[in-house]
Amino acid sequence: MRVVVVEDQALLREGMVALLSENGIEVVAQAEDGPGLLRIVEGHKPDLAICDVRLPPTFTDEGIRAALEARRRHPEVAILVLSAYVEPVYTAELLAAGQGGVGYLLKERVSEVRTFVDSVKRVAAGGTALDREVVSALIADRDRSGERAELGALTPRERETLELIAQGRTNAAIAREMVVTLGAVEKHVSNIFAKLDLPAGDDDHRRVLAVLAYLRATGGR
Amino acid sequence: MTNSSGNDINLRSVVRGAAFAPSLVLLTALIVIWAATGAGYFWPMWAALGLAIPAGLWLAVRWAMLRPKGASRRYALQASISLVLVVTDVLVWAMSGGGYFWPIFPFVGLAGALALHGLFLRPAQRSLQLRVDELTRSRSGALDVQASELRRIERDLHDGAQARLVALSMQLGRAEERLADHPDSAALVRQAREEATAAIRELRDLARGIAPPVLADRGLVAAVESLASRSTANVEVVGQLDHRLPPVVETAAYFVVAESLTNVAKHAPGASAVVTVHLDGAMLVVEVADNGPGGANPAGGGLTGLKQRVEALDGRLEVHSVAREGTVVWAVLPCE
Repeated sequence: MRVVVVEDQALLREGMVALLSENGIEVVAQAEDGPGLLRIVEGHKPDLAICDVRLPPTFTDEGIRAALEARRRHPEVAILVLSAYVEPVYTAELLAAGQGGVGYLLKERVSEVRTFVDSVKRVAAGGTALDREVVSALIADRDRSGERAELGALTPRERETLELIAQGRTNAAIAREMVVTLGAVEKHVSNIFAKLDLPAGDDDHRRVLAVLAYLRATGGR
Repeated sequence: MTNSSGNDINLRSVVRGAAFAPSLVLLTALIVIWAATGAGYFWPMWAALGLAIPAGLWLAVRWAMLRPKGASRRYALQASISLVLVVTDVLVWAMSGGGYFWPIFPFVGLAGALALHGLFLRPAQRSLQLRVDELTRSRSGALDVQASELRRIERDLHDGAQARLVALSMQLGRAEERLADHPDSAALVRQAREEATAAIRELRDLARGIAPPVLADRGLVAAVESLASRSTANVEVVGQLDHRLPPVVETAAYFVVAESLTNVAKHAPGASAVVTVHLDGAMLVVEVADNGPGGANPAGGGLTGLKQRVEALDGRLEVHSVAREGTVVWAVLPCE
């Protein structure tokens, strides 16, 4: 797998490159600003670009803008955005940019090495990785309003399962995380789809997209 | 007007009321005597003039007392008393059969004195006006500086301390991986990593409380939409601004919406809210209206804080809360 890393802080960039190489992911190029991201994506055609939100020259949302532009020019390149903060507006923009191959994680998730590497591989393969804080901001907050009655109908375990699905986990990973059997997870999943009135597909990918479409409709604007 | 001058006027009006009735009785008696003694030269008019002068002076003083205390009240007092004197002179001139118009001299004298007083007064008032302008400017300058300083601190927290902690936790994560065959040491490193992560989260909450990144990045409407999507209430955002506003105005308006939506979630569970943001000329108008149970206390801590924040920018904040009809928080902020 070929990856590019865009981060303006040398300390973080070097740490991330070392961490990725240790786990068999090849970092083919690095950059430290928005225009640099577009340049190395153009030049190296990587499988995945990992970038920060705040980048020079503006130090605002340069990274998101550059990532969206890169996605527009090269839809085949997956985008994983790392940020110091959760921002639903940005998540929604990334999700709107295309079906799959996008991720938005808090920077400190990198330190959970195995989970992070899984996320990197999943996004590069066209899957999705959303930070659990993003997902819980979109799901947990919504259902208390009473507006989304169908989410209120979920049991706490089902909601937990939905959050993990929306993060892009497989049933096996969810079973490990929740310390239950695979069969129990499959039961939760089919209940969720029944309660949310979502068409359940056979494969994980379609399932994630269905949940993301739902999140986009309710939370992201 | 101060309380004490209000009391003065009340006292005077009582005195005048008491004096007025005897005056009227006296005047009537004089007119009767004049009529009884053959109704010749109408001399009671002089008694009427004598009684009218104190009343005129009293009115003049009362009018002048309506001015704010200080130079302008003194000027008004001089002007009104001068007017009473001039009118008295003209009446005396007319009642004594006219002729050579001698009241012109006291008139010119009094007008001259008044003009001189005015010349002294105006520079004083002008310097006061200049001082007010200067204070207004320096206050808004100080608030602008404060707003951009806070944004700088917020950015420094993200790019400085937080970035270092992220780098630290990343290294701890890598160390943990290498300690796979030393479970005890790995557990210790994991604890350290979790501590670092907790510190990162605390810094993030701190930075968000100062100014949310999306406000600096995208401006007020995007930040309000972000608030709406995080709110537990069902919130609709109506608004569009075609340019960025001064940071201090954006931040104040943002916190008006944030606090109001927090109140909706806390006191009106299940209610929905509409947030409106628009520019009316050079004024930013922000309104948060909900259909909750109403009955909000505008003197409550949160709302008072907001009011102070808005008034510091020469803005205005009003809360209308009607039982069973909902609450509207309305703020208008000048943006120069």
